[in-house]
Amino acid sequence: MAPSKKKHASGQPCIIPGGFAVLSLRFSSNSPAGHSLYVKEHKVRAETSSGRPLDRTLFVLNIPPYCSKTVIRELFSQFGPVESVELRDHPGSSNESGPRLTKFFQPADKQGFKVGYIVFQKSSTVAAVKSHPHHVPLVVCTERRPVKTGVQKWIQQYSDSFILPQKLQETVDSFMEDYDKRKEEEAERQRKEAEQQQEDEEGWVKVTRGHKGAKARPRSEAANQRTLRKEMRKKKRKELLNFYTWQHRNTQKEHIAELRKKFEEDKQRIALLRAQRKFRPY
Amino acid sequence: MNMKKKQAAAEDPAEMSPSDSPHEEEADEAPIKAKRSKPEEGEDMVYHPVKLSRNDLYRPPTAEELSQLKEAESLFHCSLLKMQMEELLKEVTLSERRKQHIDSFIQTVTKLLQTVPESPVVEVADLSWLSGAVKVPFLLMPKTTKGKFHMAPPAAVDLIGSYPLGTCTKPHIVVDLAVTIPADILHPKDVINQRYPRKRALYMAGLAQHLTSSPDIGPMRYSSLHGNRLRPVLLLTPPENTLSSFTVRVHACPPPGFFKPSRFHPQKNNIRTDWYTGLQTTSSETNEPPTPHYNSSILGDLLPRAHLQFLSAVSCQCTAFADGVALLKVWLRQRELNQGTGCFNGFLASMLLAYLLMSHRVSNTMTAYQLLRNSLNFLASTDLTVNGISLVKNPDSTAPSLAEFHSAFEVVFVDPSGHLNLCADMTACTYKQLQHEASVSMQFWDNPTIDGFHSLLMTPKPMIRTSDHVFQLCELVKLQSSCKKLNLLNELMDHSGNYVQTVLPFILSLLQRGLGQRIHLLTHSLSPDPEWSVESEAPKYKAQPPLSFGLLLRPELAASVLERGPQADSPKAAEFRQLWGPRSELRRFQDSAITEAVLWDGESMCQKRLVPKQIITHLLQLHADIPESCVRYVGAMVDDVIKTGSEVPSTGEEESLVVVQSFDDLSRKLWRLENLPLSITAVQGAHPALRYTQVFPPVPLKLDYSFFEREKTSKSLVPKEGKPCPAYITPITVICHMEGSGKWPHDKFAIRHIRAAFHIRLAELLMKHHGYTCRPCPTHLDVWKDGLVFRIKVAYHREPQVLRESVNAEGLLVVRDNEEAQALEMATIHKPLLTSTLHGLQQQHPCFGAVCRLAKRWLGAQLFSDDITEDTADVLVASLFLQPAPFTVPSSPQVGFLRFLHLLSSFDWRNNPLIVNLNNQLTATDYTEIKNGFMASRESLPVMFIATPKDKNVSLWTRRAPNVQMLQRAMTVAAESLKVLEHQLMDGSQTQDVRVVMRPPLDAYDVLIHLNPKQVPLLSQAVDPPAVTFSRGVMTSSAAQSGGALPVIDYNPVSLYLAELREAFADTALFFCDPCGGTVIAVLWKPKAFIPAPFKTSQVSARNVEVSGEVANTVPNVEAILEDFRILGKDLVKSVEAKSEKWSL
Repeated sequence: MAPSKKKHASGQPCIIPGGFAVLSLRFSSNSPAGHSLYVKEHKVRAETSSGRPLDRTLFVLNIPPYCSKTVIRELFSQFGPVESVELRDHPGSSNESGPRLTKFFQPADKQGFKVGYIVFQKSSTVAAVKSHPHHVPLVVCTERRPVKTGVQKWIQQYSDSFILPQKLQETVDSFMEDYDKRKEEEAERQRKEAEQQQEDEEGWVKVTRGHKGAKARPRSEAANQRTLRKEMRKKKRKELLNFYTWQHRNTQKEHIAELRKKFEEDKQRIALLRAQRKFRPY
Repeated sequence: MNMKKKQAAAEDPAEMSPSDSPHEEEADEAPIKAKRSKPEEGEDMVYHPVKLSRNDLYRPPTAEELSQLKEAESLFHCSLLKMQMEELLKEVTLSERRKQHIDSFIQTVTKLLQTVPESPVVEVADLSWLSGAVKVPFLLMPKTTKGKFHMAPPAAVDLIGSYPLGTCTKPHIVVDLAVTIPADILHPKDVINQRYPRKRALYMAGLAQHLTSSPDIGPMRYSSLHGNRLRPVLLLTPPENTLSSFTVRVHACPPPGFFKPSRFHPQKNNIRTDWYTGLQTTSSETNEPPTPHYNSSILGDLLPRAHLQFLSAVSCQCTAFADGVALLKVWLRQRELNQGTGCFNGFLASMLLAYLLMSHRVSNTMTAYQLLRNSLNFLASTDLTVNGISLVKNPDSTAPSLAEFHSAFEVVFVDPSGHLNLCADMTACTYKQLQHEASVSMQFWDNPTIDGFHSLLMTPKPMIRTSDHVFQLCELVKLQSSCKKLNLLNELMDHSGNYVQTVLPFILSLLQRGLGQRIHLLTHSLSPDPEWSVESEAPKYKAQPPLSFGLLLRPELAASVLERGPQADSPKAAEFRQLWGPRSELRRFQDSAITEAVLWDGESMCQKRLVPKQIITHLLQLHADIPESCVRYVGAMVDDVIKTGSEVPSTGEEESLVVVQSFDDLSRKLWRLENLPLSITAVQGAHPALRYTQVFPPVPLKLDYSFFEREKTSKSLVPKEGKPCPAYITPITVICHMEGSGKWPHDKFAIRHIRAAFHIRLAELLMKHHGYTCRPCPTHLDVWKDGLVFRIKVAYHREPQVLRESVNAEGLLVVRDNEEAQALEMATIHKPLLTSTLHGLQQQHPCFGAVCRLAKRWLGAQLFSDDITEDTADVLVASLFLQPAPFTVPSSPQVGFLRFLHLLSSFDWRNNPLIVNLNNQLTATDYTEIKNGFMASRESLPVMFIATPKDKNVSLWTRRAPNVQMLQRAMTVAAESLKVLEHQLMDGSQTQDVRVVMRPPLDAYDVLIHLNPKQVPLLSQAVDPPAVTFSRGVMTSSAAQSGGALPVIDYNPVSLYLAELREAFADTALFFCDPCGGTVIAVLWKPKAFIPAPFKTSQVSARNVEVSGEVANTVPNVEAILEDFRILGKDLVKSVEAKSEKWSL
């Protein structure tokens, strides 16, 4: 911790238009080249999620694929204690929807460049990061903290991919239990709603159209279209074709028009092919 | 410089493709690229749906228009074909300008010829009057000759042949000019012993000598008419040959009626044996053998003017005659039948049409289209080798009868005079080939689903792409000894010493007998007419290019190793023994018959495919004294690249069968499982190995456990660090459909969990009942069985529907397509369906799988396998088998592969959908519908559009890739590969290395990442077999295992690395690698990424910021990216080679 603070004092931070500070990053201390992290305090007009307090969150761009959450946490803890790290493919608000999934069922993470939201415990740390001198690189892989890449990483990944069937079964069971419960609750809620409709508190019953057991039209797009089509067909059935002389004449006229159209189409197609020199046999 | 080009291309919306030959590409890419790159210029090049105004459409039709529309409707499938033919005719007929040019040149030549000076009379052998600069175009054999000769101006100079008739077509315009030799030079007895031909050759030399001094004539060459050395011709070209290329062919003829035609009766002799052999024999003239070919070659000189008159008279009456002949000539030329010795040339085509007109098979009012159709129909249905035809109107009593012609010649077509057989040089095989081509053409012409015009007239059919197997006789000199062996002195005399033409019919009939039922057709190349400069001697017969023979195999019989002959005691047995010689032996069969039989060698399919080779070399050696070294067999040269197996070489048929059998067993076992909550409704394979098209099919393995680390809790092996990467084990995907039931939840996450539960349950049952090691995962279940790994995926047929449904804000249930659902449908519905369909195709066509494997090996090696995916390639190959027109269904992997390259490179992807009629489910109306749909929304559809019965308007397999640039690149490379490969295969003089087409040009790429071969598990599949091999934890014993610890499955560092690179640098670069043992990853920067872009939080990945004033721009941080290549691929990457000049700005 101490040496980094010393450098901190002497060097100049690099700030680019847009208010981002540039931190250089090296994979290991002897890497000839490295990426730059672009950091800035997290500032948005309406932050919905509570996970990113505006004053204490640092927004980091261009995090290389070999930096995992733990690596980032350790890298930045030299500036001050880190509360949480969130890595994402694209910047944006965190939107978690749907039921909570265990890691077995989560889709695999993309291994590309990421953006990060680092929440520090103290708000002063954000400024400290931003004033980190540009020429002092952050080093990802050190002897104290080796980062596995390449073949080592893939072997690790491979052996991590084993799931014990029992454990998987447990996960499935608990999820399904949860699901069934949710389903039941939902059904219960609907039943209650229906009940409520049937008898309000003053004892009045709302009388709806249709006799008992008649199915209501399902509320779906497909059903709507189906009904529309049915109506159209009904209308069409009533029409008479080739009944009057003028109708017959019209059909013939249509036939010639059709032939003409085809002829014109072919002509155009030929012209197109001719333009592309498609008629040279050799 | 390259960077500049890229920047120019940077405006292009999509990525730039690597281009090693920019010129070629620019020339070729017009059809596809025109629209994308220059929309304002290419406006008229684009097809728009026709919009006619109401007035135009509904105005009352005139009578003429009505008849025109009717004609188009009734005569042709659509008016399109008629218009296409008209356009084609415009391309081949001569322009007026060209004709004027020719006429003026003919005039000059005629004037020059009239002024040939007289020379004193000398003995024929005396050549002193001839200056040394011009040689006599004749092979003097034997040397002795009698008679006197002097030069004199020609009696007449006339145009003959196609030019005056108006049937001359482009390209290779040849104008024939007949020069009549004055009567006093010749003697009526000159027909005997080649005296007349020799005098004619001298006269020709005299003309050449006179013309050399003239400045109006370009370099002169000699040639011989139809390869017949007795009939030399002089080729003249105008001096400035750049403007309009045409050749004037000068023939020398005797005065009309100079020789009596009856002298040339096919049973008369005009070459005496004692003169030819130089030995005094006492045989009288009556015993001399007939010389029909010699006779007809001289008779042919007498008649050209008469033929011209005859044809002009016929063509006057039929307006479309010239057009009909032109179409027929194009048709013949595409099939390589119009040139060389014994060809069916344009002259014969005109004569054929004349015959059809005379015999009222066609009428004078027919159009060119109908003439072509009727002549093909006639050719297809008439066998001139048995029933010759004659143009004679009033039979002459001296003329020979058809039977006499048949006894002397193989093919008979008698000219109007009744004395000459026009097809004298044609072999029966050539005619059979012509007949075969005509009947194939007739077959697909009527098929509305085939682009008839294109197949009929536009597609070239070179022998190497047409015949399943091809072989060449290389040292033609050896054929002299075959003449001796076959005792062909009389025939040799008849052919005036042309031993190649003498032996050819005998070899052909020998092979035809030997190959018998194995082949549909035996064809041979027509020796091209030799051409040589007037200053050099005539080339010897052996100087001509090797003779090529093509075999059209009957796939079900061609590969049989047994040739079963007649019963041992039947009279035919002797004949059989005579044919096969010592290879024939008595054998007893299971049906207790004892018969003569020949057994050929061959264990695996790829060896059996070469049985015809064994037969051919054996027969040629035995009967014609042609050693095996002279026979160059081009049947399976390309197959080497997919060959595996150490003891018995194999191209994967046997391995695939093992996989399929193991799968069938697994499928049976799955069906029989009990105690499953829902029953199984289908078990389908969804992997190329299960349709015989995996490039290198998975091989059952036995593992060396000590090589691996062990994971105790899950009984699995894990690769050890520091050791070479273990052998790659392909998981073979199997889709297992579960019955639909109300028990399935209606929620995508819940379905996923239920699926996982099924995987666990299946694993338990398989383990319990069959002892297979299994590993269930949420997405799949791996089963280790017979040394193979099957990856079972449980599917629920309503899941895609569930994925598509969502409830919108108004509470309305809407169905919206999304990628997740598409991917799932692809994996669980389309892929299994394709697999089973193609599996069926393999059962019909035994070499389908091998063609797929070759095609995919090529795509992989040329780094296209990510753009033209395995499934796409398989569908493309399937189209070759389902719609082979104008070819027949390929019956050898090699010819299939060549046609694949041709399809890829020459198909007009811009304007046409490729319709693959799998299972023959599409009807003609479907075709029209697909085409119309395609035309209407071309711009929004994939560049490579493939329609199948289950997928008529989206092109599932090519939706993602390739893009325009990659397709263009693939087309260019395919065309180049095809050219190189065909050349390699047909040219025996070159060093043979067919792998050349499998080595990609790497200089077009910006960065090359070289991989450490130790960590490339599929190294042994590389195009060039590696020098070093690594132990990969596999035991060599053949017994495969089922139980035990689970092996390392689907662990391939190269593909893991590629996936990481593509995820990380998708915006910056493209990555290419050969999936079969490639040790190089080629990287191409995207030009668009290298334009400085303003700083945006969403676009800073792997980019550097450059600040100038108040503006911050970003460019790719190339040094860091290259460093990342090394870091991400630690231990796998050997070196990163950056071609700096390409990206540094």
